[in-house]
Amino acid sequence: MAGRSKKKGTSGAAKNYITRTRAVKKLQISLPDFRRLCIFKGIYPREPRNKKKVSKGSTAATTFYYTKDIQYLLHEPLLAKFREHKSVAKKIGRALGRGEAGDAARLEKNLMPKVKLDHIIKERYPTFVDALRDLDDALSMLFLFANLPSSEHIPAKTIALCQRLTREFEHYVITSHALRKSFLSIKGIYYQATIQGQDILWLVPYRFVQRTGGDIDFRIMGTFVEFYTTLLGFVNYRLYTSVGLVYPPKFNAKSDEQGGELAAFQLEGKANATNGATNGHDDDMAINPEAQAMADRIAAMPDVDDEEEQVMTDVAADDEEDQNTEGIDKFEPTAPDADILPQPQASSSEVASLFAPFTFYLSRETPRASLEFILKSFGCKRVGWDSILGDGAFTTNESDPAITHQIIDRPPLENGAPAPREAENGSSPTAQWPHSTMPGRTYVQPQWVWDCLNQGRLLRPDLYAPGAELPPHLSPWVKPKKGEYDPNLPLEAQQPDGEAEAFEEMADEDEDAFEADDDDDDANMDAVTDREGSVEVGEGMDIASNDDEDDDEDSESDADGGADDFDGFEDSDAESDVSEGEAARLQHQRELEAEATGKKIEVKAPTKQEQNAAIRKKFDKKKRQEEEERDRQKMMLSNKKRKLLKRIEYGENKRDTESENLRRKRARLEKAKAAAERG
Amino acid sequence: MSVNPRKRKVVTMPAPAESDSDEELANGLLEGILSHSEDESEDGMEEADDDTDASSVIEGLSDGDEEDAEESGDEAEEIRQQLRLLNTSDGSLQRKVDTENGADGELDEQDESLKPNYTVTTDAHGQVRYLYKEIDPVYESDDSDAEAANTIGDIPLSFYDEYPHIGYDINGKKIMRPAKGEALDALLDSIDIPKGWTGLTDPQTGKPLNLSDEELNVLKRLTRNEVVEDGYDPYPEMVAYFSGRLEVMPLSAAPEPKRRFIPSKHEAKRVMKIVKAIREGRIQPYKPPEEQEEDELVHYDVWADEKPRPEHSMHIPAPKLPPPGYEASYHPPPEYLPDKAEQDAWLQADEEDREREFLPKSYEALRKVPGYETFVKERFERSLDLYLAPRVRRNRLNIDPESLLPKLPDPEDLKPFPTTCAAIFRGKEGRFRCVSVDPQGIFVASGGDDGYVRIWELLTGRQVWNARLSEEEAVDAVQWRPTKDASVLAAAAGEHVYLIVPFTILSPDVEQASRDVLDAGWGYAASKPTTATNGEVPKPPGKWSRPGSRFENKGILVQIEVRSAVKVINWHRRGDYFATVSPRGQSTAVAIHTVSKHLTQLPFRRLKGIAQTAQFHPSKAIFFVATRNTIRSYDLAKQELVKILQPGAKWISSIDVHPGGDNIIVGTYDKRLLWHDLDLSNKPYKTLRFHKEAIRAVKFHQGGLPLFADASDDGSLQIFHGKVVDDLMENATIVPLKVLRGHRVKNRLGVMGLDWHPREPWCVSAGADGTLRLWN
Repeated sequence: MAGRSKKKGTSGAAKNYITRTRAVKKLQISLPDFRRLCIFKGIYPREPRNKKKVSKGSTAATTFYYTKDIQYLLHEPLLAKFREHKSVAKKIGRALGRGEAGDAARLEKNLMPKVKLDHIIKERYPTFVDALRDLDDALSMLFLFANLPSSEHIPAKTIALCQRLTREFEHYVITSHALRKSFLSIKGIYYQATIQGQDILWLVPYRFVQRTGGDIDFRIMGTFVEFYTTLLGFVNYRLYTSVGLVYPPKFNAKSDEQGGELAAFQLEGKANATNGATNGHDDDMAINPEAQAMADRIAAMPDVDDEEEQVMTDVAADDEEDQNTEGIDKFEPTAPDADILPQPQASSSEVASLFAPFTFYLSRETPRASLEFILKSFGCKRVGWDSILGDGAFTTNESDPAITHQIIDRPPLENGAPAPREAENGSSPTAQWPHSTMPGRTYVQPQWVWDCLNQGRLLRPDLYAPGAELPPHLSPWVKPKKGEYDPNLPLEAQQPDGEAEAFEEMADEDEDAFEADDDDDDANMDAVTDREGSVEVGEGMDIASNDDEDDDEDSESDADGGADDFDGFEDSDAESDVSEGEAARLQHQRELEAEATGKKIEVKAPTKQEQNAAIRKKFDKKKRQEEEERDRQKMMLSNKKRKLLKRIEYGENKRDTESENLRRKRARLEKAKAAAERG
Repeated sequence: MSVNPRKRKVVTMPAPAESDSDEELANGLLEGILSHSEDESEDGMEEADDDTDASSVIEGLSDGDEEDAEESGDEAEEIRQQLRLLNTSDGSLQRKVDTENGADGELDEQDESLKPNYTVTTDAHGQVRYLYKEIDPVYESDDSDAEAANTIGDIPLSFYDEYPHIGYDINGKKIMRPAKGEALDALLDSIDIPKGWTGLTDPQTGKPLNLSDEELNVLKRLTRNEVVEDGYDPYPEMVAYFSGRLEVMPLSAAPEPKRRFIPSKHEAKRVMKIVKAIREGRIQPYKPPEEQEEDELVHYDVWADEKPRPEHSMHIPAPKLPPPGYEASYHPPPEYLPDKAEQDAWLQADEEDREREFLPKSYEALRKVPGYETFVKERFERSLDLYLAPRVRRNRLNIDPESLLPKLPDPEDLKPFPTTCAAIFRGKEGRFRCVSVDPQGIFVASGGDDGYVRIWELLTGRQVWNARLSEEEAVDAVQWRPTKDASVLAAAAGEHVYLIVPFTILSPDVEQASRDVLDAGWGYAASKPTTATNGEVPKPPGKWSRPGSRFENKGILVQIEVRSAVKVINWHRRGDYFATVSPRGQSTAVAIHTVSKHLTQLPFRRLKGIAQTAQFHPSKAIFFVATRNTIRSYDLAKQELVKILQPGAKWISSIDVHPGGDNIIVGTYDKRLLWHDLDLSNKPYKTLRFHKEAIRAVKFHQGGLPLFADASDDGSLQIFHGKVVDDLMENATIVPLKVLRGHRVKNRLGVMGLDWHPREPWCVSAGADGTLRLWN
């Protein structure tokens, strides 16, 4: 007996998915409210596997949500809040319409429901680690808002809250030494902290006025910020309490007004006895800045003298000292063929004390906030800066002898202009960059700090001296992969065989062309580079080398391009063997002749170019053989697998060409550099 | 007694003057009857009033039980007597007084008249004992809630005099006129006057109007000129409210003082003080609305009792943004900077098409880095992605591409196979159509468009023999007899098949053996017709004859004429039979010729489809016939169809059977080469499509090398390694080895025929460009 015939669209995918319009109707809220709800609850649209089945045959582009998700929204307490809000808004509107501003204000004050997101935080992040995992976007957003000016879309209160929360978070990172890496990109400064095993990466914009025009909907951003502030508040609470600090920390509004930023917060331990153990600089300031400064100065004195040596011997000394610590030993493979196991990096305590022994002074052109944050989270307790950079400096006196490092982003004056007179008039001796330098003090550019912390050791400061050409600043997150270009390694180490020669040859050609019209303007140069960019390695040479072969073979190589057919793997080999054999024969013939005539044959030393060509030809041949072999193998694949392979190879080829492109550029640059040195 | 009948008559008669009194009487009489009848009979006349009466009667009975036990006997009689007198005297007032006096006693007597309620017995002391009947508490017995009102309204009752009823009750039922008893009964019953009897009739109900005790009492008081109210005291005790005694809460009669009505000066003073203070600003009249700090930012440990939630398969966390690469640095290595071309390409590209949202740029110092223009926009787009973008879990293709590629044997292991063109044999004119290498591997025979059969020396490429078989027809097939003892070549030109022994190039003994093979059948052919004599002589499918001396001098010894042009010749492995296929021949398309008997047979009476080629199984008595779409294999011994292969091709051009016999390769005009494993299925095991044009010929190497080749119209031959293992569990391995190019394509024809050397990995191809090529 046949069962009841099923009605279409009552089960399966049609039931599991719901369009946005239907969802909004079901929830009986407006679309903006629905959007807010989705943002708060973290509900996102889905892509059904079969759209046609879901939308009952129509193929119009629609957004689908899970019906279950929407059903679960039905019970959301926020929904009631939204409705309440709507009714109060109606009342306020009515009052305003009647011109009763006072009533409206009272209604707004008393009746407007306050949206609390605590339960959503708990629901979306059942464990603290879940919350940490999702902190990337939250931090980036809040740091952005902390740096935005207030406007009609963004109330000042929100910005103040964002600033407060982000600085609190930074304080936690400083105290727990959780910062691992940082990177100066053209977008802003990336930071990465590791908290409870979770890597958190966030981006802080440079302090410029952000362009907020265009089609940016600040209501959406505001909703996100509302959620993220709640989240970060709770995360901060948990983080502070986990290290035994009181949350919220004491906020010094006066200091904040004077640009104290981080210094406006005063951390407190849970028990009052441990007060001193926490944020040192604030306490110090509170006690007696003068006395503390003196004490620090005295403590720092020996450092100033032998700081250079210490930098040099730092690593070595560490190794010796750490002989019998509890830290993890480093395993070095004894044989080169052994597998390399990933090993935990240097312990946090080691990292934490990277800048501990130094006293920094930030010149006024450096980004104080990021430097202060980084230096402090890497153990530096004494960071001073120019007084125009804000409150909370360890010292604002540039000529303070305790300063061991000064971070400078200005080139030295070339003509050695004398120091301004008024400096001499002052009671204390002044050492004002760029007029004069303090002996024993290291002047570096800001990049030094970033490169040091990314590499986990102190780098040579002379490379980063003011005015020096900086070494490239590299992202610490790029893991070198096999076959990909790595700027850290020398070019020769990563070039496949034969490529160097090919590049060289090509570069020679370029150079010739370049030399020919050296005095021409840039356009010509562009033309050269253009052409160079479009040349495929190994392609153009191919035909040249095959020139002497008979026409049969030529047609054969012409036909190579066909996708479906395959080429013998033998013949090019044979051809070149023939030609090589021919060459050898000729050589032998010549020798014989020479012997017969009694002349001494002069061994013609092959020129570099010829050598290169020979090598490249050899590798070209090898490469081509491999390709042929691969084609042959591909022919035996099923259609499905062939397509899959094509897809994989597409990505691989893209990567390969990219890295090859980089290598070529580098080769050219190196050559140009060498030429410049020679000439 | 006598009165009653008369009264009855009166009832029926319209005599209102009399009826009043009569009715009253009758009512009084009937009361008792009603109350009696109530219990037993349930006629429509029962009324609530009666009912209450009855109950009161019963009560009265029970009450009077003790008091009047002894006197009841004669006293009752006495009273009854009196009442009778009263009745007859017709003095209502008198009777009223009477009732007043002895209401109780009268009641008792009245009760006694309701006799059937009890029986009288004597108890143990010899006294009278009344045994009362059980009261039956049926539902109808309690009618207290029923209303019994006549609903006729305010009209005189006399309107109903003619009817048996006097009105309607609330239910619309007729209220019957109360029955009027017999005169004697009435007289008797008039003795016991009911309580409150007035002798009047209630105009509403038409029933006798009885008055209750209270009403009677009221009447009595009215008559006495007394205050009707019960217990009214006309002279109460006086209470002295205002006396000389001083009370705790004295009541004062003094008038309200004036000060109660005029404003207080003191208050005014105080208000003025406040007003002054407010004016001076010393007092704030109301608190300024203080910015109350919203304490919504109260934080606590949300994760105090955290419980990890099991991973939900439907939840896809938002993917994190990838960390920045080298090119995003403010000062990247110079090789990451775009050159001019890249920069232009980036600038010109549409914003969505850009692979990277920024252009790498190098700044020599940190202070020179400008703000990133689209920072807010990027952040905004990220938030849009977070809540708007559908999330789909995609499996990363984490497959090593090398693992996909099949493990092919090393080409070095597959050697030898032909790789290069070793010799080119050029004909005079026209294209070559077919080629065959003799079983010794010395000669190559070829047939071409010019009608010549040529025999060449394989190694040198020298033409050693030729003969023109036909002037106008091309030689479509040549095939050497596959035995080494004799050297016989079969060639087909048009409708003729020739068997050739090219004796000029053979050693004498081989020549002799060859001639023997061919000559053996002449005698048989002569004896054969005897069987065909009976009945009509069918035209033999093949006519064996000598071709004539011109041909015989050349070595062409036998000529067989069949009905249509032969395109394919294939020998049986022993060389005694060969099959020819002439695709146009319909029923005679496939013929099997027996050399030893000079006999031609048509194995198929009718053939489905157009036969393309036919071949003998290399070891079994199985015969393969390929039509355009299918290949059928027949068992010749059992004479039955064994198998039908369906290569799925549109037009099969040629087939070849693997020397092992279990595999067939099929070449098709639709550019495919199909490998059939006969053990597996009737569908191809592998389909190879490497040619751009039709495949003309396919051939296995017959001498033990695992090679096969095909020839195509695109002018190329393709050599494959095709290894068949005896193990049934292992499929054949097919490896493409080599494309041999060299033949030119002429008139869209490339390589027409192909044959392998019997032992060496050499292969000969016949090209449409008029050359044969030897490949090794």
